[in-house]
Amino acid sequence: MIEVKNLSFSFGDHEVLKNVSAKLYEGKFTAILGRNGSGKSTFLKVIAGIIKYKKGEVRIFGKDLRQIKDSERAKIIGYLPQFHTATFPYKVLDVVLTGRAPYVFSMPKKFDIYKSEEALDAVGISHLVDRPYSELSGGERQLVMMARVLAQEPKILLLDEPLTHLDLTNQYHMMELIKNHLSKGITVIAVLHEPNMAFKYADEFILLKRGQIIELSYHFKPWHQDILKELYDIELNTINFNDKAYIIP
Amino acid sequence: MKKRFPEVILYLVPIPLIFVSILFGPSELLSINELAKLLISNSKSSGEDFEVIRDIVLNIRLPRVILAFLIGAALTVSGNSLQALFRNPLVSPDILGLSAGAAFGAAFSLAYGLLPLQISAFISGLLAVSLSYLLAVTYRGISTITLILAGIIVTSFFTALLTIIQFLTDPFKLQSIVHWTMGNLHTASWSKVSSAVFPITLSLIWLMLIRWKLNIVSLGDTETKAVGVNPDRAKLLIIIPATLACSSSVAVAGVVAMVGLVVPHMIRMLVGPDNIKVQPMAVVFGGSFLLCVDTISRTLTEYEIPISIFTILIAAPFFVYLLKKGKIFFRET
Repeated sequence: MIEVKNLSFSFGDHEVLKNVSAKLYEGKFTAILGRNGSGKSTFLKVIAGIIKYKKGEVRIFGKDLRQIKDSERAKIIGYLPQFHTATFPYKVLDVVLTGRAPYVFSMPKKFDIYKSEEALDAVGISHLVDRPYSELSGGERQLVMMARVLAQEPKILLLDEPLTHLDLTNQYHMMELIKNHLSKGITVIAVLHEPNMAFKYADEFILLKRGQIIELSYHFKPWHQDILKELYDIELNTINFNDKAYIIP
Repeated sequence: MKKRFPEVILYLVPIPLIFVSILFGPSELLSINELAKLLISNSKSSGEDFEVIRDIVLNIRLPRVILAFLIGAALTVSGNSLQALFRNPLVSPDILGLSAGAAFGAAFSLAYGLLPLQISAFISGLLAVSLSYLLAVTYRGISTITLILAGIIVTSFFTALLTIIQFLTDPFKLQSIVHWTMGNLHTASWSKVSSAVFPITLSLIWLMLIRWKLNIVSLGDTETKAVGVNPDRAKLLIIIPATLACSSSVAVAGVVAMVGLVVPHMIRMLVGPDNIKVQPMAVVFGGSFLLCVDTISRTLTEYEIPISIFTILIAAPFFVYLLKKGKIFFRET
């Protein structure tokens, strides 16, 4: 379990996260929803150890995040960044192989290459293995970075907008991939822009607005009209389907 | 998938090259043929002539060949390491102000002689790099762009200091300072080899051991942190040996321009961008490249043309070609 207590974070004078507390449960899929600039990505980056926080506390399986060594943390937490550009035209396999860094002392071994190929296969992009990464489309790069995260073999997946650059088919594959990992006991936390995807797949929800959490009481599901209006600042209509509600455009 | 040039052949290039390079030279005493003949049957020949040839080969050409190879390797490896580190194929060892710093140190030593040339260049080079680094460090870490800008400022600063020394010093010393800053290998000696071989070899071994990390770091700070590698620490562990290799080269041979910038690109065109392959090739190919250029520079004309002029004449058109072909692009994220 990941426990976040009274977490605050600022970029200079701008306070991005204000006293955020949340519990993220092991083996569950937690979706983080909110408008642009609500602090979703920052929240994820803090948990991933990408940016250092000063106020508050983050505990991962009971351990203070700041006390965990970088290489140890990388074996527990895998982080998929929002977008990525490349300077050098590395082969896709070489990019995925860097995910093995927490397990490699100096040079990657055959086993690491095997694990990387396995990850490429899991994401369904084995055919890209020898292609130059810098020549791929945004969506393909997203999938390569996902394979890199999987090659890392983490127990917790932190995904920042994993669906953004993907076409409908790949969005579906990505969600199935996440479901597949959940069934293996992996914890998934993802920032999602598409609330319907979140409603369909996620178990838990964190709603962020201007750096603060919108509390969900027992009766209020995130697709409740009042909650949606509070979260997105517009009136949204929903339709019920299989005990859940979905936003209709 | 393009077929790559067979790498094994490239690894074997230095062996005949070193041999051929020893045979060539502007020796007034002997033609190339005679030298070759005497080298092959050296055990049988004796007498005064042989002693002279022995001296030329062992004490003039051999140290020069070794020095040229070492410096070519050092500049190429540190150039490639810095390009990966800064995610910027336009970076070279010069960008950190290292060359300017080392050149100032050497000029200072040539003009006032407070410290030996090598040590003075080395200290000043390290000082310049540390200065660039310290200027660029902020509470948010080290940004690529800020570091490059800091390097430009430090380069200008040390170039200005160098100009002051050139103004104040007497004409005879000025001549040797100018000659030194142009980069040259004709003063190569065993003492220069022995002063450069240790720091360069040490740095190259270290950069060879961590070469896979270059792949990781070159993907960006966030991506580096995500796999549990501290990018700031990794940068230091790359910058320090790269600086050591480069400033040691500058200390013995002056500023040999553009090798660190352009040769890594040639290697990437041959073996691809993976640093596991690029780094060892940088030693072999970089060393061979400078050895070739030096051999040409000392045989083409009767008088010595500084090697830097040749490296620029070769590298500049190649660089223009790379730019026009779109092989180099710079993207800041």
